[in-house]
This record gives sequence, C-alpha cells and structure tokens, in this order.
Amino acid sequence: MGNKSGNATALTVLSPIVNGIVDGQSFADITRERCLRIPIHEKSPLAKVPNTYLARLFILDNVFYESLPGSDSVFNFSEITSILSDSARKKALPRKDQLKSKYLVFSSNFHGDLDEYLTGMWEKWSFDDHGQQRDVRYIWEHCVSFEGVKDCAGFISYIKRCQLEATLFFNGSTDDSLQEQLKALYLKQEFSKFAAEHQGKSAADLQRAFKTFIERVQPENLSQPSWNPGQSTL
Amino acid sequence: MTQNLDLTDIQGNIVKAYGSFGFFKARYLFLRIDDGDKGRGFVNRITTKVTSAERWEKDAAPSVTTNIAFTYSGLQALELPTASLIGFPSDFVMGMSKRKDILGDDGPSDPKNWDKIWQETVHIWISINGKSMKDIEERYQWVTQQIEASGCGVILLKGHRGEDEAGNPRDDLPYQDASVLYDEKGIPTAKEHFGYTDGISDPVFEGQTNNAARVLGRGKLTREGGWEPLATGEFILGHIDEAMEYPQTAPRPDLLSRNATYMVYRKLHENVGTFNKYLDEQAEIFPGGKENKELLAAKFSGRWRDNGAPLVNTPDNESKAEWDKKFAAADFSTQKRMLTDFSYNDDIDGAKCPSSAHMRRINPRGSLEYGVKDAFDTPGALVNRRRILRRGLPYGKVNDATSDKGNHGIIFMALNADIKRQFEFVQQQWINYANDFKEGNDKDVLLGNHDEKNPGKVVLKVERNSGKPPHFVCNIPRLVETRGGDYFFIPSITALKMIAGGIIDPT
Repeated sequence: MGNKSGNATALTVLSPIVNGIVDGQSFADITRERCLRIPIHEKSPLAKVPNTYLARLFILDNVFYESLPGSDSVFNFSEITSILSDSARKKALPRKDQLKSKYLVFSSNFHGDLDEYLTGMWEKWSFDDHGQQRDVRYIWEHCVSFEGVKDCAGFISYIKRCQLEATLFFNGSTDDSLQEQLKALYLKQEFSKFAAEHQGKSAADLQRAFKTFIERVQPENLSQPSWNPGQSTL
Repeated sequence: MTQNLDLTDIQGNIVKAYGSFGFFKARYLFLRIDDGDKGRGFVNRITTKVTSAERWEKDAAPSVTTNIAFTYSGLQALELPTASLIGFPSDFVMGMSKRKDILGDDGPSDPKNWDKIWQETVHIWISINGKSMKDIEERYQWVTQQIEASGCGVILLKGHRGEDEAGNPRDDLPYQDASVLYDEKGIPTAKEHFGYTDGISDPVFEGQTNNAARVLGRGKLTREGGWEPLATGEFILGHIDEAMEYPQTAPRPDLLSRNATYMVYRKLHENVGTFNKYLDEQAEIFPGGKENKELLAAKFSGRWRDNGAPLVNTPDNESKAEWDKKFAAADFSTQKRMLTDFSYNDDIDGAKCPSSAHMRRINPRGSLEYGVKDAFDTPGALVNRRRILRRGLPYGKVNDATSDKGNHGIIFMALNADIKRQFEFVQQQWINYANDFKEGNDKDVLLGNHDEKNPGKVVLKVERNSGKPPHFVCNIPRLVETRGGDYFFIPSITALKMIAGGIIDPT
C-alpha cells in the first residue's frame, strides 16, 4: 500500500451499505443518522482513537455525472453531435454511471501504521448516544458482510478490503505523533504569553521567570500539561 | 484608460468621495415604506434630485448632493418582482445584523446594543452631503416635504443616538449628522477622533479618472512595480471585474443591476478615552518611551498621525523628520504621491510597518507574495478582489478626551460589488484574524473586536539581525464599537426611474 507520507498515513475507506429497508427506512439513511449523532470536539470517538489528525465520515449516495464539456474556441461539441442520428448522438455523450449501492466513506489522516491505528479504532472508539455507549461496530453495522466481523483482526482485514489508495494529506499537520503536536502547540501558545508578559525585564529576572515557566510547562512531558485531542477552545 | 463610464447614470457617491470635493457636512436619513404605490411615488420625486457621477467643471459643483439606496426589505416593500428579488446575494438579503458572527459584532457591538433605529425595519437610506449646514438643512426640508407628500406611504424613522442642538444626549434623533473635524484654527481636516488621517489611499478603478498620478498606490500593483486602476466590476455591477467576469451578485434584469453597487453602512463609535489612556500606558513600555508615543501610534495604523506619512517610508523619528521636510517643500501632486505611492516589498517582515497595522491589513498591496517574486500571476492576486471604496465622515464631538462617553465616531460606508467577497472578507479575515499575515489570530489594533476575555495582542517586529527583541503590544481593549448599520443596494438612475415606475421586468 502507498498512502504514506513520512510517519503520516492517509486512509480512505469505502464500505458498501446493504441495499434494503427496515421499518420504512433504508440502511443507508440509518447509517447516515448514526454518523450525524456522533458528538464533536473532545467528545468525538475519534478524539479517543490515538493519533488521529483529521477524520471524516459521510455517505456517498451516488457518483456525479460529468456532464457535457463546455464549448471551446474551436468547436462546440453538442453542435457537432446534432447532425448525427439520435442513437449515435447518445453514444457520443459521456457515460452515465450509477453506484450499485450507497457507500459509507471514512477518511482519516493519522500518525503511525495502519494496523495499529485500526486496532485503536476497534478498542477505543466509543461515544455516548443518549445514555448508550456505541463502539465502532455501530457505524459499520449495515455495511455489506460486516456481520462477519467478530474481532479486531476481522475488523482490520474488513477495512483493508474496503481501502482505496489515498494520496492527499492534511496540510495543517506535521507527521509527528498527535501527543507531540498537541504539546508543541500548547508550548508555542504558552511561550508567546510568556514573552509578552516578561518583555523588558533584566536578564536575571528573565532567567528566573523562564525557569519557573519551564517547570510549569514541562516540555519533556508529552502527556501534561498539554491540549487534549479534539480540544477546540481554551 | 479604456473604460468610459456612464457617469450621468451612476450615483455620484459611488465615484466621488464627496468630502474631498469640499462637501464637509452630511446628513443620513433612514425611512420605512408602508405603502408600495406611495413609496414608488416618493422614490420618483427623490430621483429628480439624485446626484449623478457627472464630472463637475471647475466651480460648477452643486452646493448639496442627494443619494438614495435600499435594503432588501426596502426593495420588497417597493414591490420588485420576485424573479428580480431572488437574484440578490444572500448576504444582502440577510442584512448586517444577521451577519454579526462573520463581522465580529459581539459584546458592546452586538446588534442588541445598537442605536434604537436599528431595532426598526429600515427600507431606504438617503444621504445629503453639503458644503454648509444651511445647504443640508434646505435639502433636508425638501426631503421632508416629499415624505409629507407621500401621504403616510413613507415614514422617516427616528432613533439615532446623538446630541440635540442644546447639547443634550438623545436617542430618538430623526437623522444622523456627520462632519469633517476642524483644527484649532477652524480649518477642515481629514482626521478622525483618534487623530489619524483617514481615507488617503481609496481604491481607483477604470473609468474613474484620467489622471494617471491618482492611480499611484491606489490601483493595483503591476509586476513591474507600477500601478493600474482596478477593474470597474469590483465596484460597479454590469462591468468586468478582476476575474474577467461580470459580478455574480447582479439581480435581473440587467437594467436593474447595471451601474449599481452594494453599500455597507456602519456607525462606529470610537472609545477615545480608552484609546488615549491605552496609548499613553503602552508608550511607557515601548522602546524609547514617551518620546516614541507618536511612533507607536503610527505602528497601530501604518501612518503617522500628524500628516499621514506612510510608516514604511518613515520607520523612525529621523526618517520621519526628513520626510516631513521634503513633504513641506513639495507641490500638491508630489505630496499626494508621497502619501500613496509605496509598497511593502522592502518590508516583507513588517519591521517598518507591522503586518498588523490597520492600513497594511485592509490593503496589503503586494506583500502577500512574501517576497517570492512571481508567486502569483500578479503581485496583488490575493488583494485585488478584496478592495472596498470607503466613503463617509466622522460624526459627533469629543468633549472629554479622557472619556468614552458621548457620541463620536465614524460613519463608515464601504462600497463594493460583492459584500461577502470584499467587505465581509476584509472584516472577518484581515481585521479580526491574521492567518494571511502569518500573525495567528491577532486582530487589527484599532478595529479588532478585542474584549476582556480575549484581550488583543500584536507583535511589532524588528529588522532581522538588528539584535533587538520584537515588541509585544498586549491587553488591547475594544477601541471601536459598532452602533448600527445595514447593507444597501445603490441603483443606477435608470433603475431608480424604473423602480419608481413599477416597470422592473426580469422576464
């Protein structure tokens, strides 16, 4: 598999959703509703899956029709085809594609290797849904053949079967571990506050204050103090 | 200059900043239409006195001007066809108060704290600009006669905060007066209440002037370092814009939108007491101390307060003194050039003029290429679609320079073809945010919506290898508060006549 940029991995997964209806609602719409109920920011299940830089879930309803090309300076495509017979003209049009089913799309950029990340999804993914804890199976439940997934190894192999090659990476991230990046952002912000609060002080005062500052922010300690995964405000 | 504008069809306030033509006073009226038919009759009568953009021969300028514009609900009240109404952009349809999250109008600037008139439904804006209060008063009387003649079809709305003639505070005034500020000798100035010179580098677009010198520093920067006027379509609908397209914000039919534009009206209160106190306090800790107070004030705006000298060419007291000497000896056109013709090419880091200085933020000129030559097709690629024409005047008097109380500020009007792309973008991304300037979420010192919970901070950088530390300006309080406003459509005179006649036909 490609999908790597340094220590960052890009994952794009398209899982077909079973065609069918239960209680007047399609499986695709049930899955969409479940996705829409996922909480955001720190409560997001993806904040619990280690090393997620950015991830999104959505339902792919169908492919887009590419439509007719616009006219250009040399000739207008639709004007040329108008002299042909109806069937020849239709054959000249771009092909109309239809998906055989709707797809659950999951795309994620993360630090580290795929197996480790998917293990994290299987073990850590959870969110509170009106008092009920939902694990990752809740989202994929109505996908084709997902009923065969019984354990973590099964989940990893299922996701890999649905994986597409991904080449686009989240520009707002380095390829360091999430903890490392959150700590770096925290330090950057705290340091700019420190610089602003202590400008103009003597070298001795500054050094004393800086020592206290370092003791407080603990640059080597990645776990705390720091920002939390998914944190959106201070 | 290839573009010939229909100057007799375009309203005068779009092409001219009346203040620079000797119209030192203005009065703004806001009205509601209660009857479509009578409302159209009123528009018809006002249109007879609407001032066009026709060039004034020397000494042939009128003594008073009149212009008119409408909110979306105003155009509804005038019973424009639905097929025309649905062609207006969503920002204009929503109006300014509903755009408060984009504009950063929170806390004291929240619409619920605006002048009472903005709790009403405003349909019409009428501006009267005059050379004297007598001229304004005469035209105002004429407008009120037309309101009376409308037989309750049109109502003049009350509810502006200000002082009455006896100096008593009021919140129910029937109009908003504005005026240039005068110096101690009674000479009119281009200053606002914080002491800055305003409106020096207003954009210039194709067809506006035949004077190439006026384009310097005010048009768009060319790759060769020269200046060309901006595309007309950035400011007037129905003309080609900087993307070589007709503006997408034009409603149908063409005759309704051609030669029209959109106007943002904002009443901005200036917290003069807070500003003066803050500047004094910050000067104490600014390198050089109190003697550099004016330099610090210039760092906030990008221009020196006394004569508007651009900081990028006068980064310290010595260079400023030299510039002043040259300026004093220069003729009028050279003076203009000294004020406007500059770029930030030799100050990419912002060591001279900070990236957070107000003037650099609202018009970064070519500096968003960050010194990478040919980064874009043209040096102003990220700027030329974000320009706004600034109109308006200061209002009120400062009776106590240590207090924020009272009514004084700026009536700010921004004219552009696309409110969302131009005015709102500048307000949201360049006034209240700074990612484009590599300054994180720092806000414009003067106009940013700083508050106690998130007090503002900006960094004043220094020349590389100077061995000096950068200076942090911290705990910036809210210096300017929004007191009201809305989004308006300024039609052409042809469209005004068609609206008045009820003959707008989009089919």
